[in-house]
Amino acid sequence: MYHYEALPAAEWFRRNRELAGFHNPARALYQTVRELVENALDATETYGILPTVYVRIGVVDEQRGWVSVYAEDNGIGIPGGEIPNVLGRVFYSSKYRVRQHRGIFGLGLKMIVLYAQSTTNRPVYVRSATLKSDKIYEYAIMIDTNSNSPAVLHRQEYPNKYKWHGTAIKVCIEGNWHAAKRRIEEYLRRTAIVAPYAEIIFRGPDVSLRLGRRTTKMPPPPEEGLPHPKTVDADMLKQMVRENGSATLLELLAGNFDGVGRETARAFAAWAGLAPDARVSELSQDDLVRLAERMRQYEGWRRPRAVSLSPAGAELLELGARAILGAEAVFAVTRKPESYGGHPFIVEAAVAWGGQIPPAERPLLLRYANKIPLLYDEGVDVARKVADEFSWQNYRVRFPAPLAVIVHVCSTKIPYVSAGKEAIADIPEIEREIRLALRDAAKKLRAYLARREREAELVEKYVSLAKYVDEIAHSLAVVTGASRARLAESLHRLIERKIGMTAEELLRRA
Amino acid sequence: MDRAEVLRRLEEWGARLAKSILELEEPAMEIPARTLSNTVWDERARMLRLGPERIRRRFLDVKEARKFMQTVLMLRLIAEAIREGVYPTIRDLYYNGKHTIIYRDPWGRTHSENTWEEQDESNAVIEDIEVAVNALREEMGVSADVKGKVVGPVVIRSQGYELDASKFGETALSLPVNVDALEIVKVEASYVLVVEKDAIFQRLVRERFWSQEGAVIITAKGMPDRATRRFVRRLSEEFKLPVYVLTDGDPYGWYIYSVYKSGSIKLSYESERLATPGAKFIGLTASDIDEYKISDNYVIAATERDVKRARELLRYPWFQRPEWAREINLFLKRRKKVEIEALSTHGLKFLHDYIRDKIRRGKFID
Ligand SMILES: Nc1ncnc2c1ncn2[C@@H]1O[C@H](COP(=O)(O)OP(=O)(O)OP(=O)(O)O)[C@@H](O)[C@H]1O
Ligand SMILES: [Mg+2]
Repeated sequence: MYHYEALPAAEWFRRNRELAGFHNPARALYQTVRELVENALDATETYGILPTVYVRIGVVDEQRGWVSVYAEDNGIGIPGGEIPNVLGRVFYSSKYRVRQHRGIFGLGLKMIVLYAQSTTNRPVYVRSATLKSDKIYEYAIMIDTNSNSPAVLHRQEYPNKYKWHGTAIKVCIEGNWHAAKRRIEEYLRRTAIVAPYAEIIFRGPDVSLRLGRRTTKMPPPPEEGLPHPKTVDADMLKQMVRENGSATLLELLAGNFDGVGRETARAFAAWAGLAPDARVSELSQDDLVRLAERMRQYEGWRRPRAVSLSPAGAELLELGARAILGAEAVFAVTRKPESYGGHPFIVEAAVAWGGQIPPAERPLLLRYANKIPLLYDEGVDVARKVADEFSWQNYRVRFPAPLAVIVHVCSTKIPYVSAGKEAIADIPEIEREIRLALRDAAKKLRAYLARREREAELVEKYVSLAKYVDEIAHSLAVVTGASRARLAESLHRLIERKIGMTAEELLRRA
Repeated sequence: MDRAEVLRRLEEWGARLAKSILELEEPAMEIPARTLSNTVWDERARMLRLGPERIRRRFLDVKEARKFMQTVLMLRLIAEAIREGVYPTIRDLYYNGKHTIIYRDPWGRTHSENTWEEQDESNAVIEDIEVAVNALREEMGVSADVKGKVVGPVVIRSQGYELDASKFGETALSLPVNVDALEIVKVEASYVLVVEKDAIFQRLVRERFWSQEGAVIITAKGMPDRATRRFVRRLSEEFKLPVYVLTDGDPYGWYIYSVYKSGSIKLSYESERLATPGAKFIGLTASDIDEYKISDNYVIAATERDVKRARELLRYPWFQRPEWAREINLFLKRRKKVEIEALSTHGLKFLHDYIRDKIRRGKFID
C-alpha cells in the first residue's frame, strides 16, 4: 500500500536546505550573512537611501558551535503587520516584481528561520520601523512548518522618538565561524566593490572590518517594469484576465506588457489572426494557451526596456575595484541592454591590473549577479568559461599576470544554476554579452599596457644615459677646464631632448 | 712627437666634445674603425693598414653611451698622467679608472655599475684614443707589459749601458717598453728566429742552438706585444736579417705568425712600424704531420673553436696564398693539430734538424 501525503513548502525547504545554500554549519553561516546583507541593501539603495549596514557575529555556545548573527540596516523597514509573514511564510516577498533586486525567491529569511529552528530551536528576533513611522515593532517568530505560517512568540511596540527607520534581525544558529570566516570577509569586500556608496561594518569573534563609504553617488533606483510579452505563460494570462475581466484583447495587451502600445498590439493580433476587440473574459482555456504560445513566438515585439535594471555603472565599478583590490588600473564598461527570453539584462565588466593583485596563471574572476558577489560554484559559471576562453594574448596580457576580471550581470531575472544563487547558467545571449564586455574592457587595458611599456622604455633609456652624466662631466672638466656643473646640466638637457620630455614630465607619467 | 704635443691634441679633442655639449649639440667622437671590415690588406707593402672607415661614437646612443663614458674617462687619465709627468702602464690606467658609478634615478632607485670590468675594455679605449688623436701610446708615455726576450749575437745600448745578448747564459735579455729608445750597436747574426713558445725558446737557449747557428732568438710568449714586434722589425729593416717564425701547427700559431709579418686587425694603424713583411713561416703545417711522420701519440683532435678560427683565416686577404689555402683546407679536412713539442717524436734533438731543414731547404711559407 502506498501512503500519500502533502508536504508543506516550509517543511520541504527545511528538509532540502542545501538547495538554498544551507549545506553545513560553515556554509549556513555564510549564507545567513549573505541573505541578511542582501535584504539590507535591497531595502536601502532600491529606494535611494545610502546604505549603512552593521553585521555582528558572536559565539553563543562554543561547545555546541552555536553562534549569533545580528544585522541592522537603515532601510525602509517592514510594516508592522507584514513582519510575521515576511519572516514566517515561505514564498512571501515584496520582490516578485519586474524590477532588479538582489532577492528574488521570497525564501532567504525563511531559510534562516527554519535553519535556526532545526539547529538551536531558537526564534528569530526582529525590530523594524518604516519611514516616518511613529512606532518601532519588535517580534520573536518561529515557523509552523506544517501550515507554512508564522508563529509569533513575542510582540511589542515602542514609540519611535528619533524617527529611526530600518530593520534589525537577530538569530542564533549552529555555525562554524572559523571555516566560514574567510568567505564572509571576502563576500563583504566584494560587495563593497559594486556598492562603494554603502558603508558596511562587520564585527566577528576575532576580526572586524570597516568598509567605508567611498562615494555618495548612487546609481538611479530601478523603476518597476511590466512583464515582456515573450515571458508569458497560460497561467499568468489567466490571472491577468481575472483582474481585467471587462477588457478587450487590445486593451489587455496594450496596458499590461512592456513596450506594447495599441499599435504593436494591433499588429500582433493581425499576425496571430485574433480579433483585437474580443473580450478576454470570453476566451476559452484553449484560447489562452494558444494566445500565450503566439505571444512567445511573435518576433515583432519591441525589445524589453531596461528601466527596471540598475547596473553599478563603469565609474562606480572602477572606483570600487581600485579601492578594494588595490589595483593599479581598472577599466570598466557597461554594455547596452540586451534580453533573453523577454528578460532584459545588462552586462558590466571591468579588468583590473597590477597593484596588489597577485600575478597568476589565469585571471582572478570576481562574479556578480544583481550586485551580489558570487563566491561558490565558480566552475559552472558562464563568466568563468568566457574569461578562460578569452584570447588575452591579443591584449598584451602574458600570464602569469596581475589580472582580475569583474563580471556583473544584472537582470530582472538572473538565470541562476540553483536556488543557492551562486552561479549563472550558460545562456547564449548572456555569454555573448560577457564576451563583448570583456573585449571592450580589455581593449582599454591593452592601450594602457602599451602606453606603460612605452613609458618604461623611456625610463630605461633615460637611466641608461643619465647614469654616466657625472662621470663624463667630471672627466671633460678636468681635461678642458670647462665647468663641471654646466657640462652636467647640458648633458641632462641633451638627454631630455632625446627622449622628448623633461625628467619631471617623465617622473609624473611613469 | 713629444708628450706636450700629445697633450695638446688630447686637450683639443676634449675641448671639441665639451663645446658641442655646452652648445647642446649631440656630442659625438669620430674614431677610425678598428674592425675587420676596416682593415685593408696592402698587397704592395704586404701589410695590414687601417682603412678610411670611421665610427661615430655618440653619447645619446644607448648602445654607445658606456663606451663614450669610458673614452672620456681614459682621456682624462692620460691627460693627467702627462701633466703630472708620470709613465703609467696600461694596467695602471685600468686600475686608476676602475670604480663604481652609483646613480640614483629620479624614481629613487639606485643603479651601480663599474666604469669597466676587464682590462680589455680599458685597453680598447686607449687604442681608440690613439687612432682618434693620431698619437701612439708610446708617445703618450703609456706602456704595456713587455714579454719579449732576446738571446744571440746582438749588442744594444740602453740608458748608456751596452748589453750583449750573447752573454746572458741560460737567462735572456728582456726587451724594454720603448724599443725605439734602444740603440742596436752591433749584430753578428745570420738570421732571426722568432719562437712562439717560451718553453721552446728556453730549450734552444740551453742547448746553445743560437750559437751553433749564429741566430738571434726571440720570443714574446704567445701573442706578441708591440715592443717585441717593433724589435723584430728593426732587426729586419736596419740589418737586413731574414726572419723565421716558429709556431705550433694550429690556427692560433698561424695567426701569430701573420701578426709578426703583416700586423693585426686591432692595431692595423701600427703595421707601418711593427710589421715585418719579409718574415717566413717555419712552424708546423697540416701537411707536416705526414711530411715529418709525426706519431699519432702527438696528434691532437682540433676543437670547434680551432675549426672556426681556421675558417676565419681562410677569409683574411693576407692569408690568400695557395700554400695557406692548401694547408688550412687540409687542416679543416683532417681536423688534426700538432704542437712544436711533437717533433720529439724523433728524439729531442730533432727540433734542431727540423729548423735547419726548413730554413736550408727553403721549406717555409712566405
Ligand atoms: N532588511 C529588510 N528591510 C526591509 N524589508 C525586508 C528586509 N528583509 C526582508 N525584507 C522584506 O521581506 C521579504 C522577504 O525577504 P526574503 O529574504 O525572505 O525574500 P526575498 O529577499 O524577497 O527573496 P530571496 O529569497 O531571494 O532572498 C522581502 O521581499 C522584503 O520585502
Ligand atoms: Mg532576501
